[in-house]
Amino acid sequence: MRKKSLRKALLFIFAAILTLLNIAPLLWVALSSFKTRLEIFSSPPSLFPEKWQVQNYIDLINVNLPYLLNSIIVTLLSTLGVLLLSVPAAFGLTAFTFPKKRDLEMWFLSGRMMPPVAAAIPFYLTLRQVGLIDTHIGLILLYVGIGIPLAVWLITSFMRSIHPAIYEAARIDGCKWRDIFLRITIPLSSGGIATATIFITIFAWNELLLPLFLTNRFAKTFPVVLTSFQGQTEIAWELMCAGATIQVLPVIVLTFFVQKYIVSGLTLGSVK
Amino acid sequence: MIAADTRISESEVVMARSLGKFLARKSDISLGFLPGFDFGWRRFFRHPATPFLLPAVIYLFALTIYPFFYSLGTSLLNFSLTSPRPPTFAGLSNYKNLFLDDLFFTALLNTGLITVASVVIEFIIGFSIAHLFIAIADIRASHLLRTVFILPMMVTPVVVGLLWSYILDPLFGIMNFLLSLVGIPAQPWFSDANTALWAIVFVNVWQWSPFLMLICLAALVSIPRDLYEAARIDGARWYQIVMRIELPLVRNTVLVGIIFRIIDNFRMFDIVFASTRGGPGRSTEVISLYAYRQIFQYFNAGYGAAAAVVVLLIAMIITTVAAKLLQSEAYHA
Repeated sequence: MRKKSLRKALLFIFAAILTLLNIAPLLWVALSSFKTRLEIFSSPPSLFPEKWQVQNYIDLINVNLPYLLNSIIVTLLSTLGVLLLSVPAAFGLTAFTFPKKRDLEMWFLSGRMMPPVAAAIPFYLTLRQVGLIDTHIGLILLYVGIGIPLAVWLITSFMRSIHPAIYEAARIDGCKWRDIFLRITIPLSSGGIATATIFITIFAWNELLLPLFLTNRFAKTFPVVLTSFQGQTEIAWELMCAGATIQVLPVIVLTFFVQKYIVSGLTLGSVK
Repeated sequence: MIAADTRISESEVVMARSLGKFLARKSDISLGFLPGFDFGWRRFFRHPATPFLLPAVIYLFALTIYPFFYSLGTSLLNFSLTSPRPPTFAGLSNYKNLFLDDLFFTALLNTGLITVASVVIEFIIGFSIAHLFIAIADIRASHLLRTVFILPMMVTPVVVGLLWSYILDPLFGIMNFLLSLVGIPAQPWFSDANTALWAIVFVNVWQWSPFLMLICLAALVSIPRDLYEAARIDGARWYQIVMRIELPLVRNTVLVGIIFRIIDNFRMFDIVFASTRGGPGRSTEVISLYAYRQIFQYFNAGYGAAAAVVVLLIAMIITTVAAKLLQSEAYHA
């Protein structure tokens, strides 16, 4: 028995070392964000900054605050839009039976499979025509479309666990479908909706391709800013590290809230 | 008024029914994009599910089907975004040029190579580490450890590309410094045409092995314990248990995870854009980057649209296969 628990303890230590190695790149970037440019290029490199300083963050924010705000605005509003469309749709897919329901579900799923670049030209030309290039609204409209498949599938997989007898009972009591949706389904699936919300928020926050070609100055989001540190003759690694840390920190915090559901989140509920 | 209304509706119902039946028959080959429906419009609009579903359906329709036909139309044009002249009809010449372009095939090949290599390595690593986490599952802290372990997969893809190009910088990067400590010579990583693609695979594996680890974990814990007991009593070796019990039983679940990885690898853009931009030379050119470049760097909308249509068709084929598999998985899992 003792031998067995010793083995387990050793395995745990091994797992802990692996985990540390796995997130070491993230820690390294976070540590580097507090270093001066001189330290970044020093050889041999030092693990911790000589003196913890936040000048990189100040420099970064001074120039890029509007873009960070863009990211926040677009992420929050598009998440709201996704929910407004997807929660009713998920209800429609779970509370009712109708012909070809399975096909409709699969059609929702296929939206998740579409390579965004394949729709780049229509998105770009259409938005240009209606004057929505480089605006928040233009970005939000497209982010919502990208979020719907994920949200519908994920929320559907949570709503399936509501027993149909509940709906039947409510119908017999003369409850309208709208009231069933608002008073029964939403409260009962609030956990699933919250999970889906976090996933949509993370994916919207992480999006690069759409803002890359749909914005140029005003509505630029933070991920686009991050790519701009490269390409010049010298890469401003210290600013890049600070920017990467700002970009990733909210994602990591949110991940801890949904860690139980990550598998179902990333497979749209098909694996629990 | 009422009579006329009914008459129209009834003929409509008949028409819609036959159209619906036609679509329903066709929907098997419609690649999952067209939902077949075999009932009339009137029933459709009266059905209580319609008001809940219609907004999302219309929205998604506008963002998937409409762009597809738009791209299809644009791909038949000589259309430069910078030229002041109006676009002219070009027939299939964009497609012809596309299939004559070596770079397009290089991009396809690179995408395929990255996908296959990454998914295979991710599965092997994920499967092994899942066993490790199962072995320590009853230690309370292992749960927290697991959450920390999987953090890479939620990290913003563009940041993944950037942070690795910082770490793998051939001159100042910490990786080459660490390698030099154990006597391994400095590697060029992203900066050499021979290694860049493998550096991309490496980064991809770093980010997504945790995902397959979680999938394998979910599948492995659902295997009944008595199967292991029986195998042990029969004197099965560990590799026999893996080959004869575990792999067949986790197959279906893992397949779902792998499908999502294949689809995402096929669309890969952010990591490559942030680390190599397809270089050095054309060594890491991937299909999304290729299409993006044609449109937004060379402003060749017609040609880019042709590339986009081909990308979309390949994605649709993958999706159809995937949807068929998922359809059976999602309800039997």
